[in-house]
Amino acid sequence: MPEKEENSLEKSKKGSDGLSSPVIHKPLFGYHEIPLSISHEGFSISAEPADEIVVYRRECGQEKVEKTLLVSDARLLINPVEPLNTPKEISPHLLIEFDKMLAVEPKARRKIFLTFPIEIGVFISAKREHKNIDVFGLHKQKFTLYGDPRVGVICKYWKSGVFSTAPALDPLREGVLRLTIINTTGDWVEATKAVFNAYAMKIHYNDDMVSMKATMKIIGPHIAETNFIDSPLEKNMINSLELYIARKLAVTEPKFVMELGI
Amino acid sequence: MILNKVIYADVTILDLIIVICVFIVAIFIAKTLSLYLRRSLKDKFRADKLEILTKVIYYGIIGVAVIIAFPILGINPSGLLVAGGIAGIIIGFASQSIVGNLISGLFLMIERPIKMGNAVQIGEYSGMVEDIRIISTTLRTWDGLYVRIPNEKVFSNSITNYVANVARRFGYVVGIRYSDDADQAISIMKRLIEEHPLALKNPPPQLFVDNLGDNAVNITVRMWAPVSEWYGLRMEMLWKIKKTLEENGIEIAFPQRTVWFANELNKREIKDPDT
Repeated sequence: MPEKEENSLEKSKKGSDGLSSPVIHKPLFGYHEIPLSISHEGFSISAEPADEIVVYRRECGQEKVEKTLLVSDARLLINPVEPLNTPKEISPHLLIEFDKMLAVEPKARRKIFLTFPIEIGVFISAKREHKNIDVFGLHKQKFTLYGDPRVGVICKYWKSGVFSTAPALDPLREGVLRLTIINTTGDWVEATKAVFNAYAMKIHYNDDMVSMKATMKIIGPHIAETNFIDSPLEKNMINSLELYIARKLAVTEPKFVMELGI
Repeated sequence: MILNKVIYADVTILDLIIVICVFIVAIFIAKTLSLYLRRSLKDKFRADKLEILTKVIYYGIIGVAVIIAFPILGINPSGLLVAGGIAGIIIGFASQSIVGNLISGLFLMIERPIKMGNAVQIGEYSGMVEDIRIISTTLRTWDGLYVRIPNEKVFSNSITNYVANVARRFGYVVGIRYSDDADQAISIMKRLIEEHPLALKNPPPQLFVDNLGDNAVNITVRMWAPVSEWYGLRMEMLWKIKKTLEENGIEIAFPQRTVWFANELNKREIKDPDT
């Protein structure tokens, strides 16, 4: 049995002189051998083997999770997943509201960078099969309604700044979304939000960043179509195991048509 | 041989056995297939759509079996349609309520004001729609009772579908004392709503002093929630509001009356015998 490993995930610590000194430890995202013990500001994860079982524990804020896994030879995979599962999985849509209104010139194609919330998925991996055992998030949770109560959709809500380059973020809390806005109309268009079918998310990560790429094709003054692109933002990024892949759910329509305003 | 014995016209016992076998095989295939579909598509289809799909497949297979079996039994399907039409009219007159229920059932399936799994109120009954059949609709009331309502009654009654829209609003009237700061109370309640993930960001909540009541300053609090979550949120938020207001020194007012005496009262002090 390998020795119990203690992981601290702090990226940097401020020294007595107030300057940040990098203290890089083993990253959270990726495969971990069991036994495992990870503690970080805001949460802790442990997996302790006992005979033919593994006891998984996780604490995040007031929430505590304990599960018994009937497995003998397994690893834990921890990676970012679609931010749709906490506090309750009630919607497959993510609405990102821009902190400033965007005016897009006619027939233009522009790239902007937004942020999106991260949810951390924990999978048990044995015999090449993955099973999701836990999902948690460190960000503020909120839902909203896109459209009106009759024909609208409930969405996970996130407010993001609009950046021209990828912002530096805590990869355990926020990811970078590169959004390509394509205005196919011959008029100026104002955009304040983007709604995505989050089950079709293609999340990639490395030690410093969690990222996604998406497009928003504006096809009318109040209509747009959003879609995700399965491509990493930087080289050598790892593709996340998303929940809908782990659950073997077929995503029939990855695009989302924003018919109720943009 | 006994199998070749003619029962009527050209139909033999063997034909009858073949027909019975066709129906047994058809029922077996229909049940197995619908059970398989129900299990494998459970997570991928909505319950009401899955139920319709499995029913269509089940009765479709039975229908095919009937089409196969009729010629073996010497029954001409085209003749049956004519006979069925006439019989339909006769049966229709003889059993108006059943036909009424049947037609209402068809209209319910076309108009679809309710779906399986919806929380509804139909006339005096309130509960979850368990099944919509061709003649009747069954509900499971909130206290777990099974209620069968004829479709004619469902169709002619007013129907309230609590989950037809994706979000719904609910609210409270919170009465605070005249001595308390209403602005502070509104700000506290706004923060509580903002912090709760299931209280929707948009449509925004509404909080305002609605009226100056006899005993309290009445603040109206309204918020929207996903339709599946509103009842839990409604129960949670009311108590949270009450506790948080009291923690901040704001109290829920109760009926009170100030009495003024026209003349000064004759007071008599009573001393405590223990002191």
